Amino acid sequence: MLDIKNLHVAVDGKEILKGLSLKVEAGQVHAIMGPNGSGKSTLSYVLAGRAGYDITEGSISYNGEDLVPLPPEERAAKGVFLAMQYPVEIPGVTTMMFLKSALNAQRRSRGESEMDAIGVLKTVRKKAAALNVSEEMLKRALNVGFSGGEKKRLEILQMALFEPKLAILDETDSGLDIDALRLVAEGVNSLRAPERAMLVITHYQRLLDYIVPDRIHVLAKGRIVAEGGKELALELEAKGYEQIVKDAA
Amino acid sequence: MTALALPTRRVEEWKYSDLARALGDAGFGEASARVSVGKLPAGIEIFDLDEPNPPDWVKAHYGKLGGNSVSAVSLAKARGGIALRVPKGKIIDDVLSLAFSGGGHVRALLVLEEGAAATLSEDSDAEHTRNAGFEIVLGPNARLDHVRVAPVSDAVQVEEISLTLARDAVYRGHFANFGAKLSRTELAITLDGEGAEAHLSGVSVLSDRHADVTTQVSHAVGRTQSTQLFKKVVSGKAQAVYQGKVIVAHGANGSDSRQTAKALLLDGRAEADLKPELEIFADDVKCAHGAAVGDLDADSLFYLRARGIPEQQARHLLIHAFLEDALTGIANIDLRESVRGAVSAALNRVSA
Repeated sequence: MLDIKNLHVAVDGKEILKGLSLKVEAGQVHAIMGPNGSGKSTLSYVLAGRAGYDITEGSISYNGEDLVPLPPEERAAKGVFLAMQYPVEIPGVTTMMFLKSALNAQRRSRGESEMDAIGVLKTVRKKAAALNVSEEMLKRALNVGFSGGEKKRLEILQMALFEPKLAILDETDSGLDIDALRLVAEGVNSLRAPERAMLVITHYQRLLDYIVPDRIHVLAKGRIVAEGGKELALELEAKGYEQIVKDAA
Repeated sequence: MTALALPTRRVEEWKYSDLARALGDAGFGEASARVSVGKLPAGIEIFDLDEPNPPDWVKAHYGKLGGNSVSAVSLAKARGGIALRVPKGKIIDDVLSLAFSGGGHVRALLVLEEGAAATLSEDSDAEHTRNAGFEIVLGPNARLDHVRVAPVSDAVQVEEISLTLARDAVYRGHFANFGAKLSRTELAITLDGEGAEAHLSGVSVLSDRHADVTTQVSHAVGRTQSTQLFKKVVSGKAQAVYQGKVIVAHGANGSDSRQTAKALLLDGRAEADLKPELEIFADDVKCAHGAAVGDLDADSLFYLRARGIPEQQARHLLIHAFLEDALTGIANIDLRESVRGAVSAALNRVSA
């Protein structure tokens, strides 16, 4: 589903990703682990299509299509979803109104009919309950005054609502206590499906206790330096990034 | 004629709006513009200022307020206009609609007597160059909700609204501007009795035109309150001006004033001049003011686009969000929705 080859990415002229290659098949959950500054967030932004991330070399293929020229909204409509580390607060736009705009924009882009307000509300309500997202949260301005846990739950609610083919979770565990983490992880696990791929980006092994990946890649200094099964996370936890990076060299 | 000369840009209050140049040789002319009332709600008294023998309430209040250079001209030259009175204790549920039209000078007077309440919707035609002077007098405990919509215009449109509020009177004014060759909305408000409150809000959505909102709020006595929230969206070669002066008089202790003006500049050629000012002569007052000019937030824009919302729609959503808190200042829901509609139409003209 996702095939990244020899990806080089520069931000403000400084190279952050230096030849990253990665393949994720449908139905799989891959984890990207790495120390701070290794390029994890850059990878997630590049996949979502954020401006200011210059691809100087390499390619990103998504379901056989070149992802690079597509603007963020077209990637979203084609099923790419990024759960962000820092969801933005937008005063003046209610959460419900945002969800309806986004859902219908994606449907329109795919040539599907738009859903009316009642239809969206019903769909959202059904999925919100499982993630403990209250009616009251949906009425509030988007992410404004939400706790860290509420923001992350809303990200996962969007994932459930948009039903992406490729979901990228960027540091979804950051700022969550153990109960919030468990709730979010359960939400993610319930969305595992044979037709869906996930890329879980995290600094800590903790999240992978709850979302167990099929494969783990260690990112350091802009490249994948080690790969393995879920046991690699435990090795990382025991030895630390420095040793793993050294072993790989 | 010199006493009635129009201000030049050398006059501080007109620094950002070149009236003489916009008017050219024709000036405002000598003609009389008109002001018309929609369906007059029952209980409101009306007097045509063209008619002889004005009643006492007109004599008591007409031509008493304001007094800046432009309103002096409209007072001297206007022959037409109307005066309206909501008698003591009368609560008017239907919206009172006023429309200024035609070219030249015109006056209006609205008096709400003690305990009276009304909602005023004000419109104007876009075609003509006009100088309107509007006096509003709120008696003790009176309440007025006022919404003024200034349409897109290629003419020079100036209006000065002078207001005085007695004890415990509450005024809520919203001013929506969509730009003219030169548009000037001037508000001169005096909080003249304890417990009086004036709450001003406004939105300007401009593409390639000018809109100037200049306010002066005087806290003449203590325990008075004023709030101001003005938001501007400026694109093309448009210019948005906000000048707001709050004066807290000597002895007006316990006054509370808040003043915020913000502008979004959507184009490198667009201009916003925001100038909040405070003059405090009293002790024990709460005054806050702020102004900010910026662009749309890049993080927010990316977030919306990453959720599938196309760039243009995302920009419009963020602009609506930016304006939202100023629009919620409109208490009447129908009028609020109507301003919202005008804002949406204006945003479709804006090259966001």
